[in-house]
Amino acid sequence: MTSTLFKTWLERGTGFALPVVIALAVSAVVLLAIGESPLDTFSLILSESFGSARRIASTLSAATPLLFTAVATAICFRAGVFNVGVEGAFLIGGLAAVVAGFSLPASLGWALTPICLAIAAAFGAAWLWLPGWLLARLEVDEVVSTLMLNFIAAAITGYLVNGPFLSAQSGNNVTPPVHEAAELSRLMPPATLHSGFLIGLAILFVYAIWARRTPAGVEGAFVGLNRRFSRAVGISVRHTIILAMVLSGVVAGLGGASHGLGQLYRYTDGFSAGYGFTGMAVALLGRNHPVGMLLGAVLFGALASAGTTIQLFSDIPLDLVNIIQGIVMIFSVVELGRITIRRRARA
Amino acid sequence: MIEQIAAAAILLTTPILMAAMGGLVNRQGGIVNIALEAKMLIGAYVAVVVSSASGSWMLAVLAAALVGTVIGWLFSLTITRLGANMIIAGLGLNVLAAGALGFVMTILYGSSGTLRLPDTVLLPRLLPEGVSQIPLIGRMLAGLDPLTVLAWVSVAALPFLLGSTRIGLWIRATGNAAQVVRSVGLRPALVQDVSTAFAGFFSGLAGAHLALYSIGIFNEGLTAGRGFIALAAFYFGRNRPWPTAAACLLFGILDAAQIRMQTVGLPPRLMGALPYLMVLAILVLTQMRSLRRAK
Amino acid sequence: MTAIALGASHVWKSYGRVQANRDITLAVAPAEIHAIVGENGAGKSTLMRILQGIERPDRGHVIVNDQKTEFSGPAEALACGIGMVHQEFMLAPDLSLLENLVLGDEPVRGRGGPLARIDWAAAEAQGRELADRIGIEVDWHRRSGSAPVHIQQFVEIIRLLRRGTRILILDEPTAVLAPQQVNELFDLLRRIRADGTTILFISHKIREVTALADRVTVIRQGATVFSAALTETSADEIASHIVDGTPPPRAASERGAPGDGVLEVRGLSALSVEKSRQLRDISFTVRAGEIVGLAGVAGNGQVELMEALFGLIRSTGSVHLNGTDLSGLRPDRRRAAGIGFISADRGQEGLALAASIEDNVIAGSQRQPPIGKGWWLSRRALRRVALDRLGRLSVRYGAARDKVSSLSGGNQQRVVFARETAGTPPLLLVSQPTRGVDLNGIAAIHAILLDFRARGGAVLLASEELDELQILSDRILVMVDGRIAGELAADADRGEIGRMMVMEGAA
Repeated sequence: MTSTLFKTWLERGTGFALPVVIALAVSAVVLLAIGESPLDTFSLILSESFGSARRIASTLSAATPLLFTAVATAICFRAGVFNVGVEGAFLIGGLAAVVAGFSLPASLGWALTPICLAIAAAFGAAWLWLPGWLLARLEVDEVVSTLMLNFIAAAITGYLVNGPFLSAQSGNNVTPPVHEAAELSRLMPPATLHSGFLIGLAILFVYAIWARRTPAGVEGAFVGLNRRFSRAVGISVRHTIILAMVLSGVVAGLGGASHGLGQLYRYTDGFSAGYGFTGMAVALLGRNHPVGMLLGAVLFGALASAGTTIQLFSDIPLDLVNIIQGIVMIFSVVELGRITIRRRARA
Repeated sequence: MIEQIAAAAILLTTPILMAAMGGLVNRQGGIVNIALEAKMLIGAYVAVVVSSASGSWMLAVLAAALVGTVIGWLFSLTITRLGANMIIAGLGLNVLAAGALGFVMTILYGSSGTLRLPDTVLLPRLLPEGVSQIPLIGRMLAGLDPLTVLAWVSVAALPFLLGSTRIGLWIRATGNAAQVVRSVGLRPALVQDVSTAFAGFFSGLAGAHLALYSIGIFNEGLTAGRGFIALAAFYFGRNRPWPTAAACLLFGILDAAQIRMQTVGLPPRLMGALPYLMVLAILVLTQMRSLRRAK
Repeated sequence: MTAIALGASHVWKSYGRVQANRDITLAVAPAEIHAIVGENGAGKSTLMRILQGIERPDRGHVIVNDQKTEFSGPAEALACGIGMVHQEFMLAPDLSLLENLVLGDEPVRGRGGPLARIDWAAAEAQGRELADRIGIEVDWHRRSGSAPVHIQQFVEIIRLLRRGTRILILDEPTAVLAPQQVNELFDLLRRIRADGTTILFISHKIREVTALADRVTVIRQGATVFSAALTETSADEIASHIVDGTPPPRAASERGAPGDGVLEVRGLSALSVEKSRQLRDISFTVRAGEIVGLAGVAGNGQVELMEALFGLIRSTGSVHLNGTDLSGLRPDRRRAAGIGFISADRGQEGLALAASIEDNVIAGSQRQPPIGKGWWLSRRALRRVALDRLGRLSVRYGAARDKVSSLSGGNQQRVVFARETAGTPPLLLVSQPTRGVDLNGIAAIHAILLDFRARGGAVLLASEELDELQILSDRILVMVDGRIAGELAADADRGEIGRMMVMEGAA
């Protein structure tokens, strides 16, 4: 029994370490090529991201949106639903929360924040319900539908912040700020770490419970492993797929809300720095496991927060982070770390 | 005004069309190439750099295509040899390419914004200036460049290439049933690599057209999701060359009209969602039809 | 003069701890039809993989045209003129039959190379000529996936012949064919033999062997145990070698008096699901304490009938279980009403191979107490229930958290039975329960079914093994073309069952 457990953990460990090591190796080569010392750079990244309480706070702050988007991705991937539309739901949820945050009466007081969160969750859920329903009912390929919906979300939110919700004060592409009552509190001012991080941790925890210790979560895993089997043992595959999409939308929407109410206090063009896709890398790296995803989110958070400072103090461009992320994504799905994504047999 | 829109539409169609033709062949070979965007972007950069350095548009175009081919091939290896999931690997390559270009730009030119190099040679126009006097299509003809012609020639050639050549048969067979291809002694992985390299080749050309058609500058937002529009186009055209080309043309017309619509009062940002909405609608309609037929 | 066209000399092959082939020796003479027979899991497939160069033997070697040969891979075997027709046809369904015929060896106009233009006229002429030579007609422009199965099989044979195959290996070629098609195939093979082609024919049906083969070799538990010319042996002798010298074991079948009707099916018809055959106006009853066998050539609606009864596909007509109307209910409701379902496709439908043993054995019960309590699922109760179910059918396993794919076929099937019989449902729908299960496992599974019956359970049992049906069933229904063609006693003459299986409109 212990040996099985050990093997699974070993597998997860290598699945996590391999892409990271390859990505670091490639970036080391890149750094050498531009005449920087990889060791110095890596230790600088380490000290810049974890060297002090303030730095740790900024790392965790950068990891916050990734906690949400990674969990949102994992909910679908483990059910065999290839949802790449978390980015779009993040945008929609973020805009919904922000609009609620400045347009609802400030007199709602402490109740404003939960209302904003609930609205964001509802919008996110509705947004991903559509591709879920299309997949379950009409077998519309969810990769294409969610990909298309990302662009549609970007277009709609882009239009709204330049039109109906454009701030009267500031120039372009930005909404008015949310009421102070709607803001998520800062945990360690002046650092930007806000209570959205705690919500993210709670979401991760609930996900862990849901996956293993609820009938619906276990059904999701069955559907992800084998749809025909699931049908034959009486699990409704359609409901499970739609539920996975809707829950994914809820979590992604909450992520957008946390980012809008805790980090930016408004919605601007470029609201998401590709958090949906980085979250996908995190979910793949952590193999949908809560602990792995927490580590992955912190890792990418560290890269993002240290990257910004490093760009200031040395000649190393921040884009190195994207290089690392891209490599991690590619190598997290090579043979060794293949996740269970069904190949559709179109016979 | 119609004239202008037509001319602009043809011009805007070309890069989408080239990437779509590459992606279509790739998809027939069984690989959904979601990294067309990455290869277009890199192709555009290479084209600008080589054009400036060599002073030859032809060398620039060839270099862009070559780099696209090589990257396509490497990308294919991760899928066919290392068993990577094609969607994730494709999204990863898009992130990686954007990161690598930003990195290179910052290191070499000190900023990652817009790259304007001296002596960049643009794509030539094939027909003399005088043709623009021809009514209706004159402007369009005057704007014709070699890559646009190549793009449409490839649309005409692909049905033959896929239907009647050996490699075409191999590609279709691989996409349909790879184990069958293996059983007759061919190597499906190699066939897929070739089809992905082909997609890289055309994406590189598409990037070169974007960069060298009119202004000869590169910036990181140059492709602006056109790789995904191309993907939308071959889903729309269900992998057949002419319907896919028609979809590309439609998207090109929308793109060209968008600028005009603005003056009529239609918000351009919302218009940008139209191609994607159309693909969604088409997917839903075709699925409804095929499910009804199954019943 | 060549003595051995294709052979094996003292071949050994093991996969991990499993010794698949032990000292196999085989000699196939040129232009002979040689049958290889043996039970499932006897080692036939491994030997075939070795003869085709897909696997290398641990010891011993392959003989081609009297020469010791070591293949570096399947391409080399192909070049030696060895070609195989698999059970799963190797045709790309969306390509035309003609495109499939020439794939990999296309006639071209002008120079070669991958970009060369395929000469479709020449291809079609070649196809016609080959088809004429073996006396069949093929619509070459038809999409392969929509062509009848036997035509697909013929095209695959023609493809091999066209590419210079002189030694043709066929792996259970009749499994998917209707009786007339079997006759057509046998005629075709005889004509190919007359052309000088050597044929190696794998089967576990003795009647086919005696009808077609010149010589037979029997493999049992990985070793050759018997080889003789058909003129010098008999069906009985061959049969005695297949199963350890004794005829198939007769399970002790205490056929008690069946009780009341458990499953009442009246006028069941299923809408056609794409290619599969529809069900037409099926009525029958299965009573308590009774096993009703379902016989028929594969693809005559047995699978669809089971799926319709379990609610996996839509159907019209009525289905009653102990008087309760199940019509229109989904699988979960029918399961709750008291039906257990043993799928014919254990790997894809019966089990989630990548999941653990415990998850597989409790699947479907995740919402029922004590495992599921509303929103909550108790892992501890899950483990307890799982161990209890596994224990009751004495499944042999390492740890309950191991993947179910680590079990042998027989134990995997026991996991399925442990799950499906857990709530002691009044009715079991069982399809191909012993497919891919070794002899010990077969006995155990038969015992489970007989025990289920003895406790008053009703069973509908579909099997392609007539032996199995006759041993276990109280009576046998024969399905032809989506209908029940008739009912026979379990001890009916096999010839009679066979005749009924092939009567009326079998296409």
